[in-house]
Amino acid sequence: MLLIDRLSYRSKLRYVNASEKLLYAVATLALCVISRSVRTAVPVFAVNMVLTVGKGGIPLSRYMKLLLIPAAFLIAGTAAIVVNVSAVPLDAFAFPAGDFYITGSRAGLWQALKTCLTALAAVSCLYFLALNTVMTDILGALRKLKVPALLIELMLLIYRFIFVLSETASAIRVSQNSRLGNRNLRTGIRSFGAMGTALFILALKRSNALYDAMESRCYDGTIRVLSGEHQAKAEEILLIVAYEAVLALIWLMPLWLESRF
Amino acid sequence: MDHNENWVIEAQDVSFTYEGNEEKALDGLELKIRRGSRVAFMGGNGSGKSTFFLCLNGIRKPDSGRICIDGKPIEYTRKGLLDVRGKVGIVFQEPDNQLFSASVYEEISFGILNLGADEETAREEVDQVIGELEITPFKDRPAHALSGGQKKQVAIADILVMHPEVMILDEPAAALDPAHTRKVHQIVDRLTGKGITVLMATHDIDYAYRWADEIVLMHGGRVLRQGTPEAVCADREALCKAGLEPPSVLRLWECLQDKGMISRTDRHPRSTDELIRMLECDDTDVQNKERI
Repeated sequence: MLLIDRLSYRSKLRYVNASEKLLYAVATLALCVISRSVRTAVPVFAVNMVLTVGKGGIPLSRYMKLLLIPAAFLIAGTAAIVVNVSAVPLDAFAFPAGDFYITGSRAGLWQALKTCLTALAAVSCLYFLALNTVMTDILGALRKLKVPALLIELMLLIYRFIFVLSETASAIRVSQNSRLGNRNLRTGIRSFGAMGTALFILALKRSNALYDAMESRCYDGTIRVLSGEHQAKAEEILLIVAYEAVLALIWLMPLWLESRF
Repeated sequence: MDHNENWVIEAQDVSFTYEGNEEKALDGLELKIRRGSRVAFMGGNGSGKSTFFLCLNGIRKPDSGRICIDGKPIEYTRKGLLDVRGKVGIVFQEPDNQLFSASVYEEISFGILNLGADEETAREEVDQVIGELEITPFKDRPAHALSGGQKKQVAIADILVMHPEVMILDEPAAALDPAHTRKVHQIVDRLTGKGITVLMATHDIDYAYRWADEIVLMHGGRVLRQGTPEAVCADREALCKAGLEPPSVLRLWECLQDKGMISRTDRHPRSTDELIRMLECDDTDVQNKERI
């Protein structure tokens, strides 16, 4: 979470208009999920990698490590599709285990591969957005899309206070450690609980103080702010539209041909 | 109440008690502030400085007494409060309690938009203040990646962009390193240069003595002593009651006078530099006399 935030501020694509990036990520994601086909997933994954690592300058090793997180879930999830326990061996593989077989079908394997690739491609769309767009810019773009103000204000405050509170939490942690607060499991659990209490009270206090400070700047219940503007470029929008069109073609063309012949 | 154009703030018999507290945070406070002056508020923790500041722009409403800004009592209506908060701005002590947005640009634009500026004007004002307070080098960084001093600069910009008549700084140098403290002090000097009345809470009596036109000593929710730095610091009893020591330059000067190492004058040195200059002047006087 914090790593992604740090990387997004360093991305070379940071100053590309946020609405464009949002449009690109969401449209591609939608295509990926709707089509559920390897034909779209593979190019989407590849293009996102080129954009994030090549153009955005996010280090490849970091990118790979980040992809490992969803990959772990995927492997655990697809294992259930691939591996069956059955009395009859299926067509892909089968290992006898007593009276049963641990076995899998070709269709199951294909299904698992498709799910894996589609999911990874979808995640790569979100990573593209998260790694190349600063949170406040995303909020600015959502504001333009007329997402309800309350939602955006909540996101804005939560985002800011994640960092304030996590700083406080780590300071408390350090001071607990320096007094042997985590020497064993027992004290560890007690310290953790104490930290939770302290953080909760602090969060309340801070929110009161913040409210005072905002009121003193004429806050009236609506947060009005100006986002830093980065002009959208017509050619970039055209490129995005063209790309989505090509993706849709790659997906639909074979289906159409099949239905014709 | 006779109003003089010179008073930008007049507080009359102001009392305030926090809910659930027995003790009064403000207890019949009386105070007048001259327009365009530099006023240092001094006194221990809990002496009522911060509460009084919150009363000055209508965040807290006194239980009794009244506060006039520009000769007009604060009206606790939507419009009245908007008016007062446009005139009196507070830079809070802890920037993390003031900065609500992770984006510096959004943060600074908040106040001016609330005052009803249109987008174009607001953009111009925000850009100007970013340049003026030297925020440009870190304006694209998130709030959580700024240093304490940088956050303080943004906190001051938050208020400055609203063009207040009175700017309140609650211990602006707290937890800053000397370099950033100097920078904040430079910014404060620039504010006074623009004719803004600056009220500053501080525990640094050496700085208050050097900088302020007036020092207000607070104790137990009232004003213990108000006057020029010379007058206030001469009142050792009041200083002691407020838990303060006299400025070191003053003590040194008095000691030098007592020992006859410097000629007696009525002109108090405000800073170490001034005292050194006085000493050097004296030296050349003595040398000149010896030559004759």
